[in-house]
Amino acid sequence: MNEIRSISAKQVGRDVPRLESRQKVTGRAEYTHNITLPGMLYAKLCRSTVAHGRILSIDVSAARDLPGVHAVYTGETIRTLIAEPYFGPAFHDQPILAIGKVHFVGEPIAVVLAADPYVAAEAAQMIVAEYEELPAVFDEVEAMTSAAIVHETLKPAGTFADLKHLSGKSNTNVALDYQLRRGDTDAAFAAAEHVFEHEFHTQQVMHTPLEPMVSIAEPGDNCLTIYTASQSPSFVCTEIARLFGWRENQVRVKVPYLGGGFGAKLYIKLEALVAAAAMLARRPVKLSLTMEEQFYTITKHASTFRIKSAVNKDGRITARRCEIFWNGGAFADIGPRVTQKSGFTSPGPYDIDNVSVDSYALYTNRPPAGALRGFGIPQLVWAYESHTDLLARGIGMDAVEFRRRNLLREGRPQATGTLMHDAAIIEVLDKTAELMNWTAPFERGEGVIRRGRAIAIGFKAVVAPTTSGAIVNLSADGSAALYMSTVDMGQGSDTAMAQIVAETLGLVAERVKVVHPDTDVTPYDMATLGSRSTFHMGNAVKLASLHALEQLGAMAREVGLPEGTNYEIRDIFLKKYGMQAGNIIGVGSYVPPYTSPQKGTGLSDNVTPFWMVGAAGVELSVDTETGHVTIDRLINVADVGRPLNPAIVATQLSGAAMMQLGFTLFENMDLDHGQVTNASLADYKIPGMHDLPTVMDNVIVDNNQQNGPYGAKGVGETATFGVSPAIANAIEDAVGVRLTSLPLTPESVLRGIRALRGEKLEG
Amino acid sequence: MRGFEFLRPGTLNEASALLATGDAAARPFAGGTGLMLMMKTGVFSPSRLVCLRQTEAEHRAITPTGDGGARIGALASLSQIEHDPLLCRLAPVIARTMTTLANVRVRNVARIGGTLAHGDPHMDMPPTLAALRASVVTSGTASRTVPVEALYAGYYETILQPGELISAVLLPDQTGWHSVYLKCTTRSADDWPALGVAVSVRMDGTTITDSRVIISAATEKLTRVAAAEAVLNGATAGLAAFTAAGEAARAVETIEDARGSAAYKTELVGVYVRRALQQATGAGGN
Ligand SMILES: Cc1cc2nc3c(=O)[nH]c(=O)nc-3n(C[C@H](O)[C@H](O)[C@H](O)COP(=O)(O)OP(=O)(O)OC[C@H]3O[C@@H](n4cnc5c(N)ncnc54)[C@H](O)[C@@H]3O)c2cc1C
Repeated sequence: MNEIRSISAKQVGRDVPRLESRQKVTGRAEYTHNITLPGMLYAKLCRSTVAHGRILSIDVSAARDLPGVHAVYTGETIRTLIAEPYFGPAFHDQPILAIGKVHFVGEPIAVVLAADPYVAAEAAQMIVAEYEELPAVFDEVEAMTSAAIVHETLKPAGTFADLKHLSGKSNTNVALDYQLRRGDTDAAFAAAEHVFEHEFHTQQVMHTPLEPMVSIAEPGDNCLTIYTASQSPSFVCTEIARLFGWRENQVRVKVPYLGGGFGAKLYIKLEALVAAAAMLARRPVKLSLTMEEQFYTITKHASTFRIKSAVNKDGRITARRCEIFWNGGAFADIGPRVTQKSGFTSPGPYDIDNVSVDSYALYTNRPPAGALRGFGIPQLVWAYESHTDLLARGIGMDAVEFRRRNLLREGRPQATGTLMHDAAIIEVLDKTAELMNWTAPFERGEGVIRRGRAIAIGFKAVVAPTTSGAIVNLSADGSAALYMSTVDMGQGSDTAMAQIVAETLGLVAERVKVVHPDTDVTPYDMATLGSRSTFHMGNAVKLASLHALEQLGAMAREVGLPEGTNYEIRDIFLKKYGMQAGNIIGVGSYVPPYTSPQKGTGLSDNVTPFWMVGAAGVELSVDTETGHVTIDRLINVADVGRPLNPAIVATQLSGAAMMQLGFTLFENMDLDHGQVTNASLADYKIPGMHDLPTVMDNVIVDNNQQNGPYGAKGVGETATFGVSPAIANAIEDAVGVRLTSLPLTPESVLRGIRALRGEKLEG
Repeated sequence: MRGFEFLRPGTLNEASALLATGDAAARPFAGGTGLMLMMKTGVFSPSRLVCLRQTEAEHRAITPTGDGGARIGALASLSQIEHDPLLCRLAPVIARTMTTLANVRVRNVARIGGTLAHGDPHMDMPPTLAALRASVVTSGTASRTVPVEALYAGYYETILQPGELISAVLLPDQTGWHSVYLKCTTRSADDWPALGVAVSVRMDGTTITDSRVIISAATEKLTRVAAAEAVLNGATAGLAAFTAAGEAARAVETIEDARGSAAYKTELVGVYVRRALQQATGAGGN
């Protein structure tokens, strides 16, 4: 069989079944939870019971005396090892264990180590802390001006140039104030035919990966090995090395499969704690969070978005002002990036000459917030697409027609001034309208049931600039292995990347081996986040494969084979080495071109290497006696460039849409003075099979991302964009009720229906 | 988690003796599905668990009672009840309710005795059985028969005394009765209900001769709504009577939680009682 020539060009675009499927269904796939090491201790945390307070004392004596307890550490113990034990990707604001004060209910204040996890858990409950409570702030808008200050001084990490001006600032909860200014909004509003202004809210929700966070650290001689369920092994390595004042090569980070991530397992989470504990105890230490503890670890930003638009008599939007407040909780995590990188898309995928954006990352005394499947975009699309429907309604224009008139077209400048390329915005809108049969009459329901329909469309710029590296090892028998630090957390990256290797080298994707992240072995990758891997790592993998191919060509020439030889790879090796020996190492690294936005205006001629576009079309029924909403049909339409693996793309679209459906209709972290009151899966509900829409279609429009690997781009988040506003818009279409806060509960719908009749719910 | 005793007596009487110690942290253990959740979340730390499963041979049978009803042993599993031919004929509402009760794994393990003794007002079987006029038989020092609706003293509280165990459930003859249970969730489909409504109506032609209206989940404990029954009894089945019964049921005291405000749940009570009656009788539209 001649593998080099015959299979080529049939590997991408093919529904290659996921490489790890068999391992997973037979229970053989490796997860951090299954790893135990000789002499390993289990860690259990004791957490703060107050939202904001100065620590007066932590009494660990009873815990330490419990038989079976190996050690109990507090922030002060950690300090004997690391002088400044604070970490974080944007700000060094998060202590490994609380020092001096606590910032939210659930913040870790002490850790117990024991060989038996149940002993550790019991001891953790015996720790008694005393606090002097401080005034707390929970609301993001109040945090702008509140007297309660979460952190005395701001401590930007220094890695980001645009955060430098915040260094040492005190008496503020604003972790980042991002601005964009384009055109003259004041003049445009003054001259406007119509002006509309609305305010929208989103609630705090959680990633809920079904594999809770887990990390293990194994100490060595001036070195550490960390096994962790992380989406960003390279960052963990860098940050642990920084904390210990070590070289990167003293820290080895290994990541097997993840049972979901969704942004929860980014940057560092438990790794710093297990690393410090392992170094102090000189024993391997494992920390596995319970599902309940995840509620105190990382969440999705609650937000408030004030949006104002000017519309002229032709139905063109002439100006838009956006003010967004992001509730970052107690630690910045990646919130400042969300604030900025998503902030610049907050006017939506519309061609508007005059735009102003103010986006604020705020500290509050809630559990910290980070990136969750969309990096802030779903919060923005929720607001601007609800608003856009209200504009169309306000001027009496069809919602699809209004959008078509205002959407950005190829070559037009987005709010930052970057020209739009390869973003199939109009195509996505038109496809959605076509699938919904938009121009045909619509069945409106009867009796107590009222039906409505609507659409919403959003876009996202991939976070830039970021780097990926890959190594392809071509063995003498013609088989290939790919070494990369992209983490397969269920999204199918191993398979897609194997397809790129196979396509480029003329192999069969199923036979490409993918070596999982191990910072001693696999090259740097910024992280598996923000739909960046297919594009960035995909390009790096393609470059590495091409590099290998180039060397193979050189080898063929060297052994006297003609250009375009049909010799198999192993025969070329055999001719060179006289036996099955040797290998070819192809390396590739990719960082896209990028222009930093100007300070103050936020303008840039190249703010992102690609745009993702997603729309949702919704048909629903409302029970007007109870407010219950049934989603009869949900259509997800996406521009993903050329899909590398259409079947995996479809599951990414349906999965993202379902996740957003939960955030839209019911998921909500209930907080009582900063205390999460529903921190369990019994009380915090995520969608299940019975919550699926009656009909759900996932559709990809034809497009080619010219700078992407084989025309592809990211897809993991795209189907989250339109779901929330499309549902809210369809509810208004059905019953005339406009909801401006998520989640869209049956109670809020019923209250809206009653309010329209001038009635209130009693009680 | 501290250690605890796990005992496996062979009879309910022995079990009662092992439990009548005055220690509130000693509890009977049937399927364990309710207890284990409480233990995992730290709500309950047992000192002693007395497993009842060794008594299964004697206490899991489902048998006809001779007067048209059935006797269900306390150790019968929910799956067994769901698929039992006698019960499916006598009260098909039970099997229908089971389809949205937890999942098959829980139903395979949970026992009817544990289900009734748990006292969580969000559960589906207590209102269903109360509407069917079922009662529980207890064993222990003072054996007694208690109607299901009288079993509950409050939130997670029953009137059972320490050492008093449920040994069986008695289901009366259902001839002439029509029953429905409606589970109303306001978040995900598999959430605990915001409201459970179970109704049973006995009809003579189009006249309602007797009825049961039971509310759960929205209230602190399972509640039989006599006012709604009074509206129904003697009335002609139809929209007017059902709407009036719904209105009367709104008088129950609902409580606010993450699933909805008290006022909203009161609205749901009115609507769901009416709809349950419509479905049970096929009268008054739907
Ligand atoms: C994942 C999950 C989903 C669920 N979903 C639902 C749902 O949708 N609807 C619903 O109704 N329920 C639901 N439940 C609750 C479930 O119905 C109860 O856990 C179950 O019925 C309890 O029965 P058990 O035999 O396991 O009781 P156990 O856990 O053994 O006992 C429960 C309580 O009863 C006491 N007890 C047990 N037997 C007796 C006896 N014979 N006499 C006196 N006291 C006794 C125990 O001491 C304990 O206090 C769910 C549970 C789980 C775990």
